[in-house]
Amino acid sequence: MSVDLSIDLGRGLRLANPVGLASGTAGFGFELAELIDMDRVGALYTKGTTRLPRAGNAPPRVAETTGGMLNSIGLQNPGVDHVAREYAPQFARWRCAVIVNVAGATIDEYVDCVRILDGADGVAGYELNISCPNIAHGLDLGRDPAHAARVTAAVRAVTQRCVVVKLSPNVTDIGAVASAVESAGADAVSAVNTYIGMKIHRHTRRPVLPRAGTGGLSGPAIKPLALAAVAAVRTMVRIPVIGVGGICDTGDAVDFLIAGADAIQVGTANFPDPSASVHIVRGLADYLTEAGLGHPSALRWNAA
Amino acid sequence: MNAPLGDVRDERGEVVAVEALGGGMVEISVRLPHIAARAQPGQFVQLRCGEAHMPLLRRPFSVAWTDADIAAFVLAPVGVGTRILAALHPGDPIDALGPLGRGFTVDTLVTHALCVSGGLGCAPFPMLVRALRSSGTRTVTVVSGAATAALLYPRERFSRGDPDVEVIELTVDGSRGRRGLVTAAVAGNFDAASALYACGPNPMLAALARLLGGAVAAPVLAEASLEAPMGCGYGTCLGCALPAWDPDGARAWALCCRQGPVMSMEVVDWDELMKLPAAHVA
Repeated sequence: MSVDLSIDLGRGLRLANPVGLASGTAGFGFELAELIDMDRVGALYTKGTTRLPRAGNAPPRVAETTGGMLNSIGLQNPGVDHVAREYAPQFARWRCAVIVNVAGATIDEYVDCVRILDGADGVAGYELNISCPNIAHGLDLGRDPAHAARVTAAVRAVTQRCVVVKLSPNVTDIGAVASAVESAGADAVSAVNTYIGMKIHRHTRRPVLPRAGTGGLSGPAIKPLALAAVAAVRTMVRIPVIGVGGICDTGDAVDFLIAGADAIQVGTANFPDPSASVHIVRGLADYLTEAGLGHPSALRWNAA
Repeated sequence: MNAPLGDVRDERGEVVAVEALGGGMVEISVRLPHIAARAQPGQFVQLRCGEAHMPLLRRPFSVAWTDADIAAFVLAPVGVGTRILAALHPGDPIDALGPLGRGFTVDTLVTHALCVSGGLGCAPFPMLVRALRSSGTRTVTVVSGAATAALLYPRERFSRGDPDVEVIELTVDGSRGRRGLVTAAVAGNFDAASALYACGPNPMLAALARLLGGAVAAPVLAEASLEAPMGCGYGTCLGCALPAWDPDGARAWALCCRQGPVMSMEVVDWDELMKLPAAHVA
């Protein structure tokens, strides 16, 4: 049986395969492009992009934890004008779809960013980061279903390109937020962003990370949590769900597809293993062939 | 300017020797043909510690020296990753991503070089000393300091029998060499024809920067190898930010892994760096 890995994310955006590089772990693709063949990856979800350039937070910005890491980068990025003008023409040279992750403190910022990027070739769609825990107000929009719906609808009104909404797991009911953004016009959702976490420096008796001491927890440590979130979201929406959280190898990716994801993102694993995503693309094809399945969607488990 | 990534490879190596140097310091030699052939003094590699992402992140190490297809690293077992590495045996496989980062500037016009090493900051100097001597630097002085004698990197490993390499040792407790800090031995040891290279704890580097700032005849070149908590090592996680001055004199964050680990000392904002909390070893 021949295996078809392609995935339709909506609005005509068809990914060659379901494996993407998660926002914040692949920059704007230029570093990984030196180390791996970007044409073999389904999608790049860029570093969070804001209306104006952001210098990012004072260090330390990362701290390793058991099976994971905390980060508090603070959305360091060159600003949307630079991304649209300087980076987008380079995105157009890759076969992998480039979905620009957009972040902001207000709905207007999201709308402005998408308007500016909409004029640029090379941008396949948008992932709305309504859940970055490392900037003030970044989480607020993602916490409340009504707020999340408002930002989604505002962006929906200004673009015909695919709009993915990245969901925060730091909420009481992630399914309710997913359902709200679907109703507001999202083409897909990605689940999940990082979990708020803290690490303590026992010698100084202070948190390792500065300011409030918290950061976003990612890596294998959050995989069971992310799987449960994906399964919960799956039961609430009909649009594609992109699973992300601790995926390091083919087995992890398969687990997310079983739990209800249509596509996946490789995140923190890119740091120790720049080739993790391309290995998973190949591994997924091999896994499906061996299982006698023609498409990743055949893996899905249906909760009773 | 960012270090290029074109030569970087994730190379599976084989441990050929693990040598205890005393005081817990270990020198590990690994067969890594690609990396050994391309590494420049001051560059680093990301070593994987253990299987199945435990621990999750690789650990960065300066290349201490290369010889044919061997690259060596100096480390101390201070955390979960380095304890795994220190317990490796000859024949064990190990993954290395590299060579990474910007190394030291080896300028053929430099007649005298002063290498200032503090503790584990010894790591990049064996390779640098050799590169300097083979590029025409007439004399090299290594100022090697540590808290106590057992923590001094063996002096003959800096010089490898080269009579034009002088090694001055200092210990804080006076157990070997002069008693005191490396800065005491640096002051009278450079002039305008010298280059100064430094690697060690941030307070040592900041003290050197102050010393140079007040010097009548500053060296033509002053570079320091820095470190920062690092996620990826190749510029994508933005985790290893260091306070620095951009070319326009404005404050900016420089990534230790791409704009460093070796940076011109005048580019670093030492006052801001010293305000940061001490690195957490995991």
